Amino acid sequence: MLEVRGLAKRFGGVRAVDGIDFAIRPGEVFGLIGPNGSGKSTTVNLVCGLYEPTAGEILFEGQDIARVPTHQRLSLGLARTFQNIRLFANLTVWENLWMAENAPAHRMESGFLKRWIGGRGDARERIAKALEFSGLSHRADDLAGSLAFGEQRRLELARALAARPKLLLLDEPAAGMNAEEIAQLDERIRALQQQGYTILLIEHHMELVMAVTDRICVLNFGRKIAEGTPAQVQADPAVREAYLGTAA
Amino acid sequence: MGFVDYVQAIIDGLLFGTTYSLIGIGFTLVFGVMHKINMSYAAASLAGAYCGLAGPQLLSLPLWSVFPISIVAAGVIGYLIYLACFRFIPLASPLAPLMSTVGMLLLVDEIVVHATAGMPQSYPAIYDGDPIELGAFILRADLIGVFLISLVAMVVLLLLLYRTRLGMATRAVAQQPVAAQLCGMRLQAVNGLTFVMSGLLGGVAGAMIGASVGMLSPLISGTITVKGLIVTVIGGLGSIPGAIVAGLLVGAAENLFQAMRNVTERDIYVMLLLFVFLVLRPNGLFAAGRSRD
Amino acid sequence: MVDFYYSLAQIIGFHALIGLSAYVVLQTGQVSLAQAGFFAIGAYVAAMLTVLAGWHLVPAMLAAGIAAAVMACIVGFPALRVRGLMLVIATLAFGEAVRLFFFNFDYQIAKGGVKVGPLGGEGFRQIRWFPEHGWTSFDVMLFVWAVVALVAGALWWLDRSRFGAVIRAVGEDELAAQSVGLNLTAVKVAAMTIGGFIAGLGGAIYAHYTTHIEHSNFNVLLATFAIAYPILGGLRNVFGTIVAVIFVQGFLVEGLRFLGDWRNLLFGALIVLAMNLRPNGLIDAATAQRLARLFGREARRA
Repeated sequence: MLEVRGLAKRFGGVRAVDGIDFAIRPGEVFGLIGPNGSGKSTTVNLVCGLYEPTAGEILFEGQDIARVPTHQRLSLGLARTFQNIRLFANLTVWENLWMAENAPAHRMESGFLKRWIGGRGDARERIAKALEFSGLSHRADDLAGSLAFGEQRRLELARALAARPKLLLLDEPAAGMNAEEIAQLDERIRALQQQGYTILLIEHHMELVMAVTDRICVLNFGRKIAEGTPAQVQADPAVREAYLGTAA
Repeated sequence: MGFVDYVQAIIDGLLFGTTYSLIGIGFTLVFGVMHKINMSYAAASLAGAYCGLAGPQLLSLPLWSVFPISIVAAGVIGYLIYLACFRFIPLASPLAPLMSTVGMLLLVDEIVVHATAGMPQSYPAIYDGDPIELGAFILRADLIGVFLISLVAMVVLLLLLYRTRLGMATRAVAQQPVAAQLCGMRLQAVNGLTFVMSGLLGGVAGAMIGASVGMLSPLISGTITVKGLIVTVIGGLGSIPGAIVAGLLVGAAENLFQAMRNVTERDIYVMLLLFVFLVLRPNGLFAAGRSRD
Repeated sequence: MVDFYYSLAQIIGFHALIGLSAYVVLQTGQVSLAQAGFFAIGAYVAAMLTVLAGWHLVPAMLAAGIAAAVMACIVGFPALRVRGLMLVIATLAFGEAVRLFFFNFDYQIAKGGVKVGPLGGEGFRQIRWFPEHGWTSFDVMLFVWAVVALVAGALWWLDRSRFGAVIRAVGEDELAAQSVGLNLTAVKVAAMTIGGFIAGLGGAIYAHYTTHIEHSNFNVLLATFAIAYPILGGLRNVFGTIVAVIFVQGFLVEGLRFLGDWRNLLFGALIVLAMNLRPNGLIDAATAQRLARLFGREARRA
């Protein structure tokens, strides 16, 4: 579904991403891991269009999207969550979800005028369902900024899902979570996979990554150093070296 | 008009342009530290210059006392603006500090109008001597005086910023306010002093503007504000060398436009210059390392 | 005596219009000091149409609004290239450029033996559509407030629509907005254009109210008033802006009685004070919520 070929990004003299390739198959949960500074976030931003690549291709369903503007990538079927939660703090929970109604699926359900100038009636059902799924129905009219941290994370995810994406990018969703919350996250990711979403998961939390992903790609210093199933990656000496340093 | 006239216009413009540079530096200095624009800065600088006039007029001091009083007064006003607009307003609030400086601008302008009953006040020149002739060109002696004094002020400021501990503290706070506090710097004190510094500089600028034009009038505050901001923007927000270069550029360009067309159309062209710059180089000439956002 | 209050109501009306024109633009996070420039364009265009071309006021007003909107749209695009504070400066410069343009603008025609039309620094005199058509002060006041009500109503409705939420989302967080599929360019330019149109309408009526306009009417002070109202009133709610206008202008005019000429001074001090006490405006997001709950807005939950 998503294929990255020879992707590179330089900031001045710094090669944040130095030529990486990987491919994500439809329906799988694909992990992207690596030590700090390995280029994970840059890769995510490249895929989402916040940066333009210095070189390489990003193929989404066969189409090169490297030059497609950010806001159009959502309508192609790419949605993301942010590592440090970017909600619209002064909009209500309901309105936050309303914003994501830009996907082609929505366009087919309601015409142009309704989507832009229309009131709330049109989207009520869809958003109500989304709220229920993420357990936020009771907070629908509260300002997003007033939510508890865990609730904010759920809203962030719900907003990404509201766009009915084909590929869902989760940027360190477990950051700041305790064990119980991570267990819930684990379940949620599995549930999403069962519902047919393809997921690209960027994470630091090793247990979660190993448990929930089908395949993993490991980055270090902007390059790919390993790729494979969780078991394969765990056994790979290059990965051990990157995280723990060379054996004494 | 001949070539000589145009070059003459440019020379005069460059000499006067140093005052624009000073105003630009003042705006940019505050921006560098607070990441906000102090919209009342030019008005405050001119107000300082007005205060200088109190020396001879109210206190019967000799005429030259106008200049040091202007400078000190502007420094004090700068600190007052810090207290009113930045000390207590949460900086995270996007519009509040800006709006309060706008309110301050109106307030300062009105105080000046009331104090002077709206009448223009004449201002002493730096030097009353004959102009110097340099080949086909004439250099007004008082403009040279303005130029030199402004240069001295810039040099003093740069020395202050880069050779003293206070200057280092200012730069540290500008770059990393939290870390600077952790290193023991008192944020409020440093910020306040930054406003005093920029105020003093503005006092020099205001005094020099008064000295070159020969009079001060409440009407010029708006124009100087806009031009000072244009200089800051063209030079790059946060960049002092940028403000210096841009000030000279705007001064020269403005005079050239005036020579080519006339006074009333001149300012339109200056605005257009700004637009051209914004379209081509939105970050100014010397953008001061803004993080990619 | 009563005429004084009609006049006050009219002034509040014009300021409300220019405040509302800034309201939409500010919601997208663009602080624009150009609204006075669009107001000026509206004033001159409408006046020229009624005086020089003999148009009826209403079509002239609409044409003026459209002219200002077109200008706003043109300004909107380069405005995208500059962020935050630089935009303030750029729009300030634009507003001043417009003012200076009209300072230099001559276009006079002879009508019935008299020369009419704008004359540079002298301004544009004899904009007498209201008296010529027998409108009283009371009629003008009703007209102004009818327009204000229409505009405010339209913006209120826009606020509740998805586009309104989109505008606020863009103002909140551009990065997140892009990632959720919102086209920043389209939204910001659209907001600027809408603001330009409203300012143009305001300017058009203003010109006919004062019968004599000149460049100094459209200065930085007016541009400041324009953004001050929505900021003071809070960007969550159209009524906040209108309340701010009534408060400021009413207060100033009352202050005018007792303190003579000190009103602008008071205005400046008032702004500084207000920003220290309520940095997010009189009616910010949290207050708007509480007010909504107080009035039992079950509509949102339905």
